Amino acid sequence: MVSIRLDRVTKRFGRVVAVDNVSLEIADKEFMALLGPSGSGKTTILYLIAGIYKPTSGRIFFGDRDVTELPPKERNVGLVFQNWALYPHMKVYDNIAFPLRLKKMQEDYIKKKVVEVARMLHIDHLLDRYPYQLSGGQQQRVAIARALVKEPLVLLLDEPLSNLDALLRIYVRAELKKLQKRLGITTVYVTHDQAEALAMADRIAVINEGKVLQVGDPEAVYNRPSCKFVGGFLGNPPMNFIEAGLEYSDGGAYIVVGENRIRVPRHYGKIIGKLRLEKVIVGFRPEDTILKRKEDVTSAETCLYGEVYAVEPMGREYIVTVSIDGKLIKSIVSRDQVFIGGEKIVVCPVEEKIVLFDVKTEKALELLV
Amino acid sequence: MKIKSKGFFTRRTSEALIFILPALILIIIFYILPVVLSIYISFTPLKNWNLDRYLGEIVGFRNYEKFFYMLQHDPIIRNVFLTTIVFITITLAINVLGGLGLALATYFVSEKLSAPFRTLWLLPRMAPIAVYSLVWYYFFHGSEIGTLNSFLMHLGIIKEPISWGHDIIPWGPWSIIIFVNGLVGVSFGMIVFTSAISNIPKELVIAARVDGASNWQISRRIFIPLMKWHILYVTTWQLLSLLTTYAHIFLLVQWGLVSRQYGTTWSLYIYQVAFTGRTDQGLAAAAGVILVIVGGILGYITLRMLGFEKMITRPRGDI
Amino acid sequence: MSLKDVEVRSRKTEVLIALAVILATLPIIIGFSLIILSSFSKSMVTNFDPKSFHPTLENWINLFQGKSAAVGGLREDILKYTLNTAIVALGVSLLVTLVGTMSGYAISRMNFRYRKQFLLLILLLHAFPGSVLIVGVYFIYRLIAPLALGSITAFSFFYVIIARAALEIPMATWLMKGFFDLIPWEVEWAALIDGASRFTVWRKVMLPLVKPGIAAILLFGFLAGWQDLIYVRTFLAEKTLATFIEYNLGAPEYAEMPLVAAAATLYLLPTIVFFVTSQQLLLKVSLAGLKR
Repeated sequence: MVSIRLDRVTKRFGRVVAVDNVSLEIADKEFMALLGPSGSGKTTILYLIAGIYKPTSGRIFFGDRDVTELPPKERNVGLVFQNWALYPHMKVYDNIAFPLRLKKMQEDYIKKKVVEVARMLHIDHLLDRYPYQLSGGQQQRVAIARALVKEPLVLLLDEPLSNLDALLRIYVRAELKKLQKRLGITTVYVTHDQAEALAMADRIAVINEGKVLQVGDPEAVYNRPSCKFVGGFLGNPPMNFIEAGLEYSDGGAYIVVGENRIRVPRHYGKIIGKLRLEKVIVGFRPEDTILKRKEDVTSAETCLYGEVYAVEPMGREYIVTVSIDGKLIKSIVSRDQVFIGGEKIVVCPVEEKIVLFDVKTEKALELLV
Repeated sequence: MKIKSKGFFTRRTSEALIFILPALILIIIFYILPVVLSIYISFTPLKNWNLDRYLGEIVGFRNYEKFFYMLQHDPIIRNVFLTTIVFITITLAINVLGGLGLALATYFVSEKLSAPFRTLWLLPRMAPIAVYSLVWYYFFHGSEIGTLNSFLMHLGIIKEPISWGHDIIPWGPWSIIIFVNGLVGVSFGMIVFTSAISNIPKELVIAARVDGASNWQISRRIFIPLMKWHILYVTTWQLLSLLTTYAHIFLLVQWGLVSRQYGTTWSLYIYQVAFTGRTDQGLAAAAGVILVIVGGILGYITLRMLGFEKMITRPRGDI
Repeated sequence: MSLKDVEVRSRKTEVLIALAVILATLPIIIGFSLIILSSFSKSMVTNFDPKSFHPTLENWINLFQGKSAAVGGLREDILKYTLNTAIVALGVSLLVTLVGTMSGYAISRMNFRYRKQFLLLILLLHAFPGSVLIVGVYFIYRLIAPLALGSITAFSFFYVIIARAALEIPMATWLMKGFFDLIPWEVEWAALIDGASRFTVWRKVMLPLVKPGIAAILLFGFLAGWQDLIYVRTFLAEKTLATFIEYNLGAPEYAEMPLVAAAATLYLLPTIVFFVTSQQLLLKVSLAGLKR
């Protein structure tokens, strides 16, 4: 159990910069998710923590200990690969026992530990089988068992759920989170699935193109994204973005989208006043919108006028795509509301939930002051 | 702050060294050292392996001068040189075209039939050299017990047995050594090309068939263009092999099946001079060193042409 | 691989091609068959004269009783020669496999300094003329042999084995590299993270996973040692089947050639056995070993 610190770590492969000056702290016993699209560098960061790759520059610490020069063997980490990487020629028992046998421990002690961890992961009845005889879910648990059996300081997981079918994924998600809390082991979890990250992690680090864009707990990352990418990456369906103009008058500042003119949200009043930008990107989540008919709009609300473009029934709710001044945005409505394509409609985003981004840097405006 | 590996003996390098060491030692002792020693010997008048007497004596380039003199004036040496050139070029053509032909032919014929034939073509290369030489000794024997002779006599094409290796100069012995070595080399190309063809997507062939292409057209317009690298690989590899091979011809000359002049290549000549007959190691070494230089240059050119860089993928990980 | 089910092909061309292949292969078939046949006859049947074929088993009986074939009625123990050939073959096979699996692994999996140069060296070795090498190799032999404690014979075996094995190192390394390249990186990384040293990873994880490659090299190494002529005739203090055959043909008038033919057939046996049992392995192996 230990804290992890990456200090200005960069990793280059030839000319390609896979990890770009990343500084990250993971607290002891924390479950940290590294979330990002494929090729973003998140697996590379995981491998750097494990010691498979050495940083081109920067340092890595486990607690106070500088582990940058240490090979994986001496870092005491457990790593679960995406394709599990079990030893095909060994039985499940021997796979799990392998790390302990390398430490030259007594066979009866090894047996005790292997059975213990196998029981914890509900695979104790499979110990005599070979990996190819197991299902995907079972193989994954063997991989986790092998990683945990030596009681490592850190548990690293590389998209462990991506090879499982959808239902199993949801089940294992909860199991893993429970397990981590019980063991209290510092965990770094790489995934491209934002729902997974939101559900499991204590904190999420959103990564793109080798850089860490934002680190925060799920609520912060979800509701207060630091940039357009983070806003768009989390949430399903993703955050809506509309490019809008800004007009300044004595009454205050206004966001202009086509014929629509709405007041700048209160929590951005001062910031807009300071920055005096000409354009802005308006962000709001589909679930943070109310759809109304023209007649029902009150003056207190900030609403945009548009036309229903499409309706997707999703069982539990409907996703309505609305065209506003030629731009498409999505809204989630309950399933007792009926909308027809082509119908004139009003979209009212909840004011407190609106996030404004700078057009040029795509950063949230609050970071520019 | 950039991280640098300290010195030559980083942990990684010393770990790798343990694995490489046996191969490295063997290579140094049995490849590099011998060449160095041969170079040294080429500057001594060593004869009959009389080390005590001749080893200390350095005679400069005398052996080289002797060799070049013989090359210009001694018909036997000239013929060895000529034989080498003819041998390499024609056998190379046979090896590459034969391998290509077999690979293509067995592709177009059913698998069940072609498998045993591909195996049979491996026999020349995999059979013990002495047995292989014995087979052709009898096949090309100059008397009536020779298989070829009796075959032709039975057909009435010739009336008396012909001593192929001695009477028909120079193409008799040339044909024999080309034939014997050609069969050995065909299997290499056959394997490479068969594997290359099997990697070509079937869809291309099916599409061509649907368009009405014949076997020949498919071979010429689809297979061969897609196998350019493999053809180059086989050609250059075989070129080097033919430059350096001598074991498969050795017994044919030793047993008198082919005339010495026209059955000996440069490579074999070196062995003969060093170990049989008059044994002049100094001369052999000189002739050998020249061959090494030629081989080395050709070898390097070969590797560059084949894109050596592309053949080597970097290992992953920094462990 | 052919497309019998999917393709429309002309029967005629198929037959013609097959015929051409058979014709081209005919000399090989005839040549080897005649020698094998001769071993069962009182005199050589290498011409197409049915009269010369006198079937008998006495050649084979003599062979296994260690009777001679050559000049002066000397007793030649052919079984001993077979044993010698086998010793050389086995020695070469084991040594080549051991060294090949080690260097092949390092080249495939470890990024060490001068790795590229080492690989380049191995490939270039193919251009070293064997006949020049053997001059130097013999020179070394002459220098070291007097220092050999114990019997010269044993030392000559030892020397032949390592010298001959050295010739196969480039091929073996390249072949094993091809096999190691096929193993997923993660399996090896998992072992290193589990705490294994490189050597343990090699021994306990990688080697079991390249068993086909090891089988292939053992086989190729064995055949290389088994078929060798030049090195055994230059260095070995005793005869092998190869030198036995060579020696007899030095004076064919005095030799009992059918007996030699029997020895040759015996000599050929492992090659044939290998063919019959491992046709697929051979092609699979050659394909795996070839890069690109």
